[in-house]
Amino acid sequence: MATFGSFALLIALALAAYNLLAGGVALRLLATGQPAPITPERLADTARRAGIACFFAVTAAAFALIYSVFTNDFSITYILEHSNRALPGAYKFSAMWSGQEGSLLLWAWLLATYGFVLRLTHKMDVKLYAYAGTILAAVQVFFLAILNFAAPPFALFRGEIPPDGNGLNPLLQYPEMVIHPPMLYLGYVGFCVPFCFALGALMMRYPGEKWIKITRGWTMVTWLFLTCGIFLGMHWAYAVLGWGGYWGWDPVENASFMPWLTGTAFLHSVMMQEKKGMMKSWNVWLIFATFLLTMLGTLLTRAGLVSSVHAFAQSSIGTWFYVFMLIVLGTCIFTYVLQRSHLKSDAHVESLVSRESSFLFNNLVLLVACFVILWGTLFPILSEYVQGSKVTVSAPFYNAVAIPIGLFLLFLTGVGPLLPWRAASLRAIKRNFIVPVIAFWATAIVVLVAGDRPWHDGAFDSGQFYALVAWSVSAAVFAAILSEFLRGGAVIRKQTGSNLFASMVLLTRRNTRRYGGYLIHIGVVIIVIGLAGAAFNRSQEQELGLHDRLAIGPYTLDCVGFSDDSNSNYDSQFALLDVYKGGKKQFQMSPEKRTYLASQQPQTMVAIHSTLEWDLYVVYEGVNPSNGHPIIKAFLNPLVSWIWAGVLLIIFGTFIALAPPITPTTAALRVPVARTVPAEPAMHGGQP
Amino acid sequence: MSSTWGMIAGLILAIAAFVYTFWPENSFASQRQKTRLDYLLERKEQLYENLRDLNFEYRAGKYPEEDYAAQRAVLESEAAQLLSEIDYLQQA
Repeated sequence: MATFGSFALLIALALAAYNLLAGGVALRLLATGQPAPITPERLADTARRAGIACFFAVTAAAFALIYSVFTNDFSITYILEHSNRALPGAYKFSAMWSGQEGSLLLWAWLLATYGFVLRLTHKMDVKLYAYAGTILAAVQVFFLAILNFAAPPFALFRGEIPPDGNGLNPLLQYPEMVIHPPMLYLGYVGFCVPFCFALGALMMRYPGEKWIKITRGWTMVTWLFLTCGIFLGMHWAYAVLGWGGYWGWDPVENASFMPWLTGTAFLHSVMMQEKKGMMKSWNVWLIFATFLLTMLGTLLTRAGLVSSVHAFAQSSIGTWFYVFMLIVLGTCIFTYVLQRSHLKSDAHVESLVSRESSFLFNNLVLLVACFVILWGTLFPILSEYVQGSKVTVSAPFYNAVAIPIGLFLLFLTGVGPLLPWRAASLRAIKRNFIVPVIAFWATAIVVLVAGDRPWHDGAFDSGQFYALVAWSVSAAVFAAILSEFLRGGAVIRKQTGSNLFASMVLLTRRNTRRYGGYLIHIGVVIIVIGLAGAAFNRSQEQELGLHDRLAIGPYTLDCVGFSDDSNSNYDSQFALLDVYKGGKKQFQMSPEKRTYLASQQPQTMVAIHSTLEWDLYVVYEGVNPSNGHPIIKAFLNPLVSWIWAGVLLIIFGTFIALAPPITPTTAALRVPVARTVPAEPAMHGGQP
Repeated sequence: MSSTWGMIAGLILAIAAFVYTFWPENSFASQRQKTRLDYLLERKEQLYENLRDLNFEYRAGKYPEEDYAAQRAVLESEAAQLLSEIDYLQQA
């Protein structure tokens, strides 16, 4: 299989290179109208077909690697280093992305898959797709060149082949790790597609904004994958690392968050371009930056540029990435300078209090957040370069900056939909903001009465203050979005006579993009409510002998047993804890510590009991060597499950936003408009 | 799979990819240049959608009467200008 895999990768590289060269030549011939022995269209079609064939070649290579993992082919160095015979089947898939070579192959395969879909759907706009497909081929050439020359996944082991492999990193032996990296990669790789369309549209001076409509689905699906990937990573960190938290501002976490921020900004600002023909240069640079940040993310994860619990590879492919990123940046700047006259806005922001300006602020805030995180992430490298010693930026720095920024962003989430386009009159502001303002203050009062004390004993507790603000703003945003649904639903109810809920459902189906977006915003609100709960986290650590008890919040943990166990993959130590609440036994928990045999690395298996109110999170910290008693650490983390619930709503909202809207046909919906505009039935309805 | 079989499988893959890429086919999609008229028709769709949104938001009570009238006038004048250019290009 190693020979076949290597051969397949070489063929894939040749096909991608042909796609790039032939596609480039064809586009040049079409642009200049020069005569050629072959028609440019025919040449471009062979390039497109090479791109499709490339997908099959990369798929063959990926299959060869997976097959080799499952057949324990330890003659391949990669398999020897990242798998072993006792590794359970599902984790054999994880072996594909546990190391640098495999994960680069996954990158290349996902890119080829996106390219395959892109090239198959080229009839949407043949010329634009030809540009996008050719640019995508350039990215493919880069990854396939690395796979062929710098990080070959099928390199053979020299010397006597050991009977068993080194095994998979224990941190990756967790169910979420089977889907988290592919999700994240689907997000990273996916942003390549809107990038290629944006660059292609700029190169060919594509008239109009249709390319945005074409790429909207791509961008949203990609954004969803990245969102899921980030939150799966958070959940994995929460359940596996055993420190009681889910986000530690680790460089690799930051690396995935940065393109998410710029991608989110892009998703919002393209609406301005689509609707008003504004922010064209801004959007182009946003998607360029997003793509470059995904490259940076891959570099951080794969090349070990910074140390991280999430970086599972250290290597020397950094130079390849630096050169490629410089080429990409250079191409972007060159194309932009050459074609910038094409990006003149059709309109300008007329008022600071308008929906346009709220989009602009939203973008600025997202970019500031991204810059702060980029600065913090790269600071160790920069400080080492300047001072000679590595200075690491830790969580307090990020929290001090990111929390206020995040809260302002949340505020804008509520304000934006309430503001009219162009300019808002005082009457419009009063009319639209009254309910959210009441919700804000009512929540603030309730939270203070319930016991949140930002100021107590003469000291200021920033955590509790931010929680107070976060919950109050969340309530205001929720009220704002709900009022949007209710108002729209009321209009539909008048027209159709159905009940308010059915009217709101119909409203959403008629404008899936807007109301799906609102559902996503509600998901964000729910996540923020959950995140703010961290201000009230509590923990307790204790050595527990048989029937010793540990009390935390309303729970009492009674140790009813502790023991060792062993199987072919790992040895484990665990404790059995009966959990009481109000003197009544509720459930049993079993925190565990494993030592994997192949790698001899330890791994914590946290026991978590989740409710809407809080998580009881119990960690097996270790053993007291003098008496063999387990040391247990328990955390009480309020509202954590709200975070995961919010993500589910974001997924649902994104699916709604992606669904095609239904068009109303009711003649009763029609209202007259001025004579200057010819009648078009769809226009007169005043429907969403 | 021995390395010989690996080579043979790889060779088959290479031949299949070559044949597929260069298979003589006479009907491939042409790369038509997008015209100003195409662009204007797209823009018209968008303007109509903006008008629909405005009408709906007004009916939902988000706009006071005078704000609505002013915004609608702006959009309608923009649409009228666009339509006259479309008419001109279509007649030409």
